[in-house]
Amino acid sequence: MVTTPDLDRDLNKRPPARSWGMVVDLDRCTGCQACVIACNAENYIPINEESHYHEGRVMSWIRVERYWEGEFPNVKARFIPLMCQHCENAPCEPVCPVYATYHNNEGLNVQVYNRCVGTRYCANNCPYHARSFNYWEPVWPEDLRHQLNPDVTVRSRGVMEKCTMCVQRIRRATRGRDNVPDGEFAPACVQACPTQTLTFGDLNDHSSRVYELSHDERNYTVLKSLGTAPNVTYLKKVED
Amino acid sequence: MNPNLAIKIAVPLVGLSVALVALAVGWFFISAWWSQPPAILGFSEGPEQPVAFPHTVHVQQAGLDCQFCHRTVSTDEAATVPAVEQCLFCHDFGKIDGTLSSDPDAAAEIQKVRDAFYGSESRAAGAIDWARVHRLPDHVQFVHQPHIAAGVSCSTCHGDVASMEVVKQVRNLKMRDCVDCHRDLNAPTDCTTCHY
Repeated sequence: MVTTPDLDRDLNKRPPARSWGMVVDLDRCTGCQACVIACNAENYIPINEESHYHEGRVMSWIRVERYWEGEFPNVKARFIPLMCQHCENAPCEPVCPVYATYHNNEGLNVQVYNRCVGTRYCANNCPYHARSFNYWEPVWPEDLRHQLNPDVTVRSRGVMEKCTMCVQRIRRATRGRDNVPDGEFAPACVQACPTQTLTFGDLNDHSSRVYELSHDERNYTVLKSLGTAPNVTYLKKVED
Repeated sequence: MNPNLAIKIAVPLVGLSVALVALAVGWFFISAWWSQPPAILGFSEGPEQPVAFPHTVHVQQAGLDCQFCHRTVSTDEAATVPAVEQCLFCHDFGKIDGTLSSDPDAAAEIQKVRDAFYGSESRAAGAIDWARVHRLPDHVQFVHQPHIAAGVSCSTCHGDVASMEVVKQVRNLKMRDCVDCHRDLNAPTDCTTCHY
């Protein structure tokens, strides 16, 4: 017999939990792409071949966008690392017909791979282009077999995927513990960043570094006018 | 016999038997999908193991706790099958070689374990290739540690292994099985508890 799940019960007993967030200090970013490589390795994102770029079917959970500012010879390169912004008011969530993406009680925009049927509505509705779709069955060179992360599920063809803020690391760090010291663990991109551009932590913990930085006077959120209320804050000093 | 009569009898008979077979196959797949394969044709039996390891003897007679061998269950994801070396703690240094057992095959089975550790003429030293009994889908990240920490006993999911000669799966361990228990015990039911 199939019973209807009591969703209200599930939702009501969610404890008030953490709100994982990130701060990206653009004044520190050198555009070195270490975060991209770290993310690809941690979450084993399929390797992008040149043809994938031509087809516009590149897969990446974090990317570093580059802009040129000024005229030669007084030209400056500007970099913006962009990943899923884990919006509190996410445009991707209401358009999913199978409830495969939703917001959990830890401030994460969650993608449930085994629920996803691959309509790609979410990616089309994401203003940050943070989502990537598996157009092919993922394959890796034989040499990389032992590098794959056992904590992360392999996403098969036809499934949408995106930055999870390394939820596997969050699960491992918070397992059986209510209080995790600020900065004890971080997603792969944050850990790899050589200039400490990226900061990760609990925005509900007002003594955390990420909370302090997100209230810096340089703060802004990307595409704020859309009202998506991201959990990722950017810092940039405005130069005149 | 009138050929027309033969056809009149044969056609419904063939049709009926085809329908019955289809029904049986359908019932088999649907019941296997909802719970476990029905206990026919040996489908619900546990797999044959390379060494006939009896949990009955180790738990009931020797009185070992589950965690005596499955040591990482309270700290890690997997309960893990112990290394061959761990068997030898008792079966080599402890001199329990099965000769005193009431089971005439015991000594030969224990010799297999020693051969796995020391190597023999027929095999090189190395791990025993145990057949896996419980397997969850790859998109499920199951971790034993929080379950043990919450006081869930091993037998809740694995059944009464202590009385199994051959270990077999007793619960269907489908997602509904997990979620029902999580709801009853007030455990998290967020998708990312298991799926990430």
